Amino acid sequence: MRTGRRRHGLALALLGTVGLLFAGCGDLSRAELDRGVESLSALAAQGELVANGVARDATKSTYARVMAKTLGGEAEHEAEKLADAEPSPGVERERGAAVRIAGELADLFSELQTFPGDERRGAQVQRQMAEIKEEADAVVERLTGKAQ
Amino acid sequence: MKSVLKIALGIIAALGGFLDIGDIVFNTQAGALYRYDLLWAVVLGTIGIGVYAEMTGRVAAVTGRPVFDVIRMRLGFGFGLVGLVASTFVNVLTVAAELGGLAIVLQLLFDAEFSLFVVLAAIGLVIVVALLPFGGIERLFGYCGLMMLVFLATAIHQGPDWGEVAQGFVPSLSGSTLYLYFVVGVFAAALMPYEVHFYSSGAVEEGWEESNLRENRLNAIVGYGLGGILACALVVVSGYLFHPLGVDPADLGTAALPAQGAFGETGLLLALGGILFCVGGAAIDSSFAASYNLAQFLGWEWGRYRGPEKAPRFTVSWLLFLFLAMLIVLTGINPVEITEYSVVLAVVALPLTYFPILMIAGDRSFMGEHANGRVSTMLGWFYFAVIVMLATAAVPLLLMTNGGGG
Repeated sequence: MRTGRRRHGLALALLGTVGLLFAGCGDLSRAELDRGVESLSALAAQGELVANGVARDATKSTYARVMAKTLGGEAEHEAEKLADAEPSPGVERERGAAVRIAGELADLFSELQTFPGDERRGAQVQRQMAEIKEEADAVVERLTGKAQ
Repeated sequence: MKSVLKIALGIIAALGGFLDIGDIVFNTQAGALYRYDLLWAVVLGTIGIGVYAEMTGRVAAVTGRPVFDVIRMRLGFGFGLVGLVASTFVNVLTVAAELGGLAIVLQLLFDAEFSLFVVLAAIGLVIVVALLPFGGIERLFGYCGLMMLVFLATAIHQGPDWGEVAQGFVPSLSGSTLYLYFVVGVFAAALMPYEVHFYSSGAVEEGWEESNLRENRLNAIVGYGLGGILACALVVVSGYLFHPLGVDPADLGTAALPAQGAFGETGLLLALGGILFCVGGAAIDSSFAASYNLAQFLGWEWGRYRGPEKAPRFTVSWLLFLFLAMLIVLTGINPVEITEYSVVLAVVALPLTYFPILMIAGDRSFMGEHANGRVSTMLGWFYFAVIVMLATAAVPLLLMTNGGGG
């Protein structure tokens, strides 16, 4: 009887642990999504500064390339994280927008990485980065209700 | 003129020691997050390291004893051993962070595999130490580190609202745990224990005597003062450029962006060059500090001036610490993360380093007429109280803020 109760207790503890584990990997909350999109906005701002250096021919191409590679990797990682997570009810649209923004950011960094000495492309990427930042800020605003 | 030339030790301690990857990371992030609000913490840390460096230099000049000799003498073998283990752990983490920082800058300059640059950076440091005398190492990293002045020029060029900047020097403690975490980080980055370990052992390496006390004071004021000004410049340029854009400077390369914005490619190269030499100098300082401590605690022959033949165990331990640090970086852990952990964990080890210094420097039976005066005693105890307070808060803040991630 004692053994049976212990087994029952163990099973409950196991179930609880599994439950907790799933709870930890569960829905993407509004606050988590907000943090993710804020990171994307920060990445776009950095991208704008790096691209500005390329556009003005005021940087070293190795620097622009390595920075673009690093920041692009971060954008890709953020995109994967957001795409893998299940959005909690009410933030599905914002999650979709965030995944799209992260993907576009990664593409722009990839372009900067490929052409770190092309001033025309640099100017174009800088403009697009600014637009993406605005979009990311708009998503944050929708999520938090605060103007960025 | 002679005095001016002799402040080299102070300059390398300030630039290659004070202004290391920890300062660059924490000050740039502090500016990006809180604009100029944490400038007071930079000043507090700068005065603190100046006060304690002056004490360790004075003790070394008067008694010929470096910090770890003093620690073992004052705390005994048991507590001394705890101090040795704690400081060695933090020092090796710091060497790893600095080595990783060196590799990042080399990668930004020459674009090849990161791991290749980690190995090349370690080999480069070994070659520099093998070829140059102690004074030569100081001059190479100290004077080339002056390229960091580009951040001061950038701050002036940006033309921030100086009234707002001035307000940042007024201490304020907001309720946010992240803000408090950065107060600890900025303060601790200035007072990393390896800085005084290296400074006092360097004084012994250079054969300081009582006649060098004026030079010691000058080093502490000019050297660390200059380091403090540059650290403030990092906060200001980051606060001006990154704060309004919401940039999170999580990568070392981002720290160079303000200089590029102000002075184009020249500014960028000066910033990267300055970071390279500061971080390189700090890699040597911290790796030397780890070997100095071990050798002094165990009573081995030590010192760069003795050479590998006369101090073989010291030399081998230095190479081992460097190798260990290289392995840590090669595991792929982000050097910036290693930096953040090494700085915050260093806070916990700070009382074990600074308390014995304070006791010895104030002991008239040991230091005679050169014991701490009223001002040094007051400042020493004030800073020790701050250190103990921060040491208590450091780890909880690290956990509560998820390592500064918010």
